[in-house]
Amino acid sequence: MEAISDDFENLIQWAKNGDERAMTRLITIHKGLVFTIILRMTNDYDASQDLTQETFIKVFMNIKKVKNTDHLKPWICTIARNVVRDYFRKAKRNQTISFEDVKDLHGHSEIEITRKRIIIQDALAKLAERDRMLLTLAYYQGLSLKEVAEVMKMNEANVKVCIHRARKRLRKHLEGYEHELLSAS
Amino acid sequence: MNSCQQAERLIDYLLKQLTDEEKKEYETHLKSCQLCRHELQVEQAIESELSVELQPGFIENRIRVRLQVRQARDMRSLWMYVFRMVVYGVTAALVGIITIPFLLKLPIISFTDLGKYANEAAELLGQIAPVNTFLIIFEICYVAVFLASMYSLAQIRR
Repeated sequence: MEAISDDFENLIQWAKNGDERAMTRLITIHKGLVFTIILRMTNDYDASQDLTQETFIKVFMNIKKVKNTDHLKPWICTIARNVVRDYFRKAKRNQTISFEDVKDLHGHSEIEITRKRIIIQDALAKLAERDRMLLTLAYYQGLSLKEVAEVMKMNEANVKVCIHRARKRLRKHLEGYEHELLSAS
Repeated sequence: MNSCQQAERLIDYLLKQLTDEEKKEYETHLKSCQLCRHELQVEQAIESELSVELQPGFIENRIRVRLQVRQARDMRSLWMYVFRMVVYGVTAALVGIITIPFLLKLPIISFTDLGKYANEAAELLGQIAPVNTFLIIFEICYVAVFLASMYSLAQIRR
């Protein structure tokens, strides 16, 4: 079978024409990013699996709208964010997550659970939806500040200010855990 | 919390937003400020956790299957939409053709003929009351609109 290249322009073009291999490749490249965002937002492993699939379904149903490959990643993140918002709205859930949800996550062996992860996820769960999204995107290695700004529909300067504030709020929730964070694996 | 005046620069340092000169300056500051060093370590611990990419496992096939099902459903919805529009359009046209001349009191020859035949048929059938042609056509139209709406609703629900 002919190998498929990772050139985004070609992949998108092929995906627009319904090429399944191109679609699979695009999913493989972006599924980690989408799943990370959704899991950090919901803290529910099963729901995150389902919402990740839903995100990609929406991506491929609207892929014809993609004109510029530079905007692909922020566009996928925006769809993931909207899917999470719909999930919160439909489930009539409060957009802040309870500690019970964080504990639910720990029942899944697919995700390695460390003491540090529990502490940080718990602190993150106490933040508002926008702060959680901002920090998830800002700390994610593959996204630039410009791309974060595009997803959050803000300008870069605003994003920086908001990240500062969100970080401070997260840090406040982590007060008293510093020693554990530094010593935990 | 860090009470050092340079504390605000920490996040810029971590997000690589400082210029080379600012970065060097801040790193020099870090050497002399224990508070900032401690804060940097905590921030690095947070960053090392939040920068981890979590993986959902192999979901590619499931997405493709769900996508095919969704596309097929959408295609059916599209045809249903077209069908509904045609039904509504034809019904509206019929109602318009009948009601507008009636409201404007225009002569409707074909309807009069129809009424004549209907009355003859009613007489043949032994009915006493004459048949009102307009009433019959209106009733047929209302029944058609009602059935079309019910059918559309049933399709939407399905």
